[in-house]
Amino acid sequence: MLKRRDIVAIVLIVLPWMLLISVWHQSNITSVLTAQKADTIGGRSDSRALKESSSLQSRDIVHVVRTEYIYSRPPPWSQSLPTLHIITPTYSRPVQKAELTRLANTLLHVSNLHWIVVEDSQRRTTLVSHFLQEKGLNYTHLNILTPLTYKSRGDGRNPRVPRGTLQRNLALRWLRETFPLNYTQPGVVYFADDDNTYSLQLFEEMRSTKKVSVWPVAFVGGLRYESPKINALGKVYGWKTVFDPHRPFAIDMAGFAVNLGLILSKPQAYFKLRGVKGGYQESSLLKELVTLSELEPKASNCTEVLVWHTRTEKPVLVNEGKKGFTDSKVEI
Amino acid sequence: MAARMKLKLKTVFVLYFMVSLMGLIYALMQLGQHCDCAEHDLPKDRAISRLQEELYRLQGQIRQLEKAKQPEKKQPPKSSLSTIFVITPTYARLVQKAELTRLSQTFLHVPQLHWILVEDSPRKTPLVSNFLMKSGLTYTHLNVPTAKERKLQEGDPSWLKPRGVEQRNEGLRWLREDRKTEPGDDGQQGVVYFADDDNTYSLQLFEEMRSTQRVSVWPVGLVGGMKFESPVVEGGKVVRFHTGWRPSRPFPMDMAGFAVSLRLVLANLDACFDGEAPMGFLESSLLKGLVTVDELEPKADNCTKVLVWHTRTEKPKMKREEALQVQGLGSDPAVEV
Repeated sequence: MLKRRDIVAIVLIVLPWMLLISVWHQSNITSVLTAQKADTIGGRSDSRALKESSSLQSRDIVHVVRTEYIYSRPPPWSQSLPTLHIITPTYSRPVQKAELTRLANTLLHVSNLHWIVVEDSQRRTTLVSHFLQEKGLNYTHLNILTPLTYKSRGDGRNPRVPRGTLQRNLALRWLRETFPLNYTQPGVVYFADDDNTYSLQLFEEMRSTKKVSVWPVAFVGGLRYESPKINALGKVYGWKTVFDPHRPFAIDMAGFAVNLGLILSKPQAYFKLRGVKGGYQESSLLKELVTLSELEPKASNCTEVLVWHTRTEKPVLVNEGKKGFTDSKVEI
Repeated sequence: MAARMKLKLKTVFVLYFMVSLMGLIYALMQLGQHCDCAEHDLPKDRAISRLQEELYRLQGQIRQLEKAKQPEKKQPPKSSLSTIFVITPTYARLVQKAELTRLSQTFLHVPQLHWILVEDSPRKTPLVSNFLMKSGLTYTHLNVPTAKERKLQEGDPSWLKPRGVEQRNEGLRWLREDRKTEPGDDGQQGVVYFADDDNTYSLQLFEEMRSTQRVSVWPVGLVGGMKFESPVVEGGKVVRFHTGWRPSRPFPMDMAGFAVSLRLVLANLDACFDGEAPMGFLESSLLKGLVTVDELEPKADNCTKVLVWHTRTEKPKMKREEALQVQGLGSDPAVEV
């Protein structure tokens, strides 16, 4: 015969435990989902390429099982090399996984690399989350949705926001929120789109960036390559481009890298969202950070091409038809 | 006695409740804070991180040793892994160096890989020669020009004539010649894969194909006008092919969707690609001389995973370059792109 007192006692015991368990459970989930735009998971550059202890355990098991992939792990973290923070905006389309795969295969060769992948989406997709977990790179996975009003709407009324702007700005914000102003560890920030091609030498060239370093980029501006003009003193004095060479910084997103300290010290510097003419996006950020004379030319005084602005063709999917011919559960 | 026991039980309950409440408050406080991983560095984690560092260091050492051995073109297979011979036809165009660069970056991750790069050119070009020397891969550099009538002209759609036929056949010919000098069972171990220079390959694909006994197959993404083409596997055997285009072909799959064991290539010295075959029948022209559909080995989890994508790279727009060149102000041709 249960008295009221006993029932109260039992409730008082069970309730706090249930609350505790649900709170604990939720704290694990919020560290995976996005509560706010700035929520993240993933490694920090000062933690020797390791993640939080809980995810570390599961990754260790993966390591043990796949010992034959001995070559496909990133190189060991070095205490003396500056960290490269590579910011890659990405969005869902059929070639997304392929693009990320070959970019990751490239990045796996680079030491002290921290990959910041920012999805143009409402939620972090499972495709990208699983992909990043499998690859073994030191990464941070963010996401922010570009509102439809910002996206391409033809010419005229609504000048479109260049693709990837919001995502790159989010990554910059994340860096500023994660690293304190007086952060002593050297680092370099580079914006790498997921369809370009990068040589391994490029990453080593950009490591020594003190403020902003620049180099030639192939297949941009309707030319074989665009490049900064270097004078006899080894300083940049102009731009060898055909398309509007009088821009403050007539350079492609893939043609420059910024020192992390500079990013942190100028917290108001972002890519301008609206009212940016075509080709002026890079200038909108760089003019807040450096002057022309402070630029550091790399790639043998800007005479070698180490990065190619390749673009992947949109695959022809005519045979899918209206209902989709192939099994939609298979991830491509 | 019952009363005392009840009393004890009551105090136990109260204590229990208080402890739980404390724990809950503590957890709630923890939730509000930024989790600084360094604080949670338990001794077990430290041991794990130390071991991982050791592992990375040793891997780095192994890589150094491998790199030291690389300068020889032919590496004696000292490991137990069978060699993957990748035959890639390539031709000079603007994006060639970029394509080869990112392809080599993928191959560098695959152990025991021998890259056979065949140029569509009457002479070996310095761009490719220098590139291969610096790549760090084990390679063989060949070249054979495509006959004029077989070559695609400017403005021809890419599907008009089969591409890379002579080059792939040259790769097979070289392989057969080369293996003659290595008699014995060891020299016959290996897998042959035809990899075009603009596709995208995941690293897992190469591990899947290593165990090929005759011909193994798997799905290919973004090909045949569909998200992916794939063999259909039932009971561990390929029964038919899931493709949207001409499924009546003997082997309706893409070049990137199969690999042949070296043994089979060496046992059938006449098997090669037929350049005269109708469009889409190129793969079948080789495979029909080697296997039947029944003998195909499905990989990639019984052909349910996509590990290779038939990506194609856009031709870069060169209008301004061309305009400049007319004026004699083109970009420095000495700068290799």
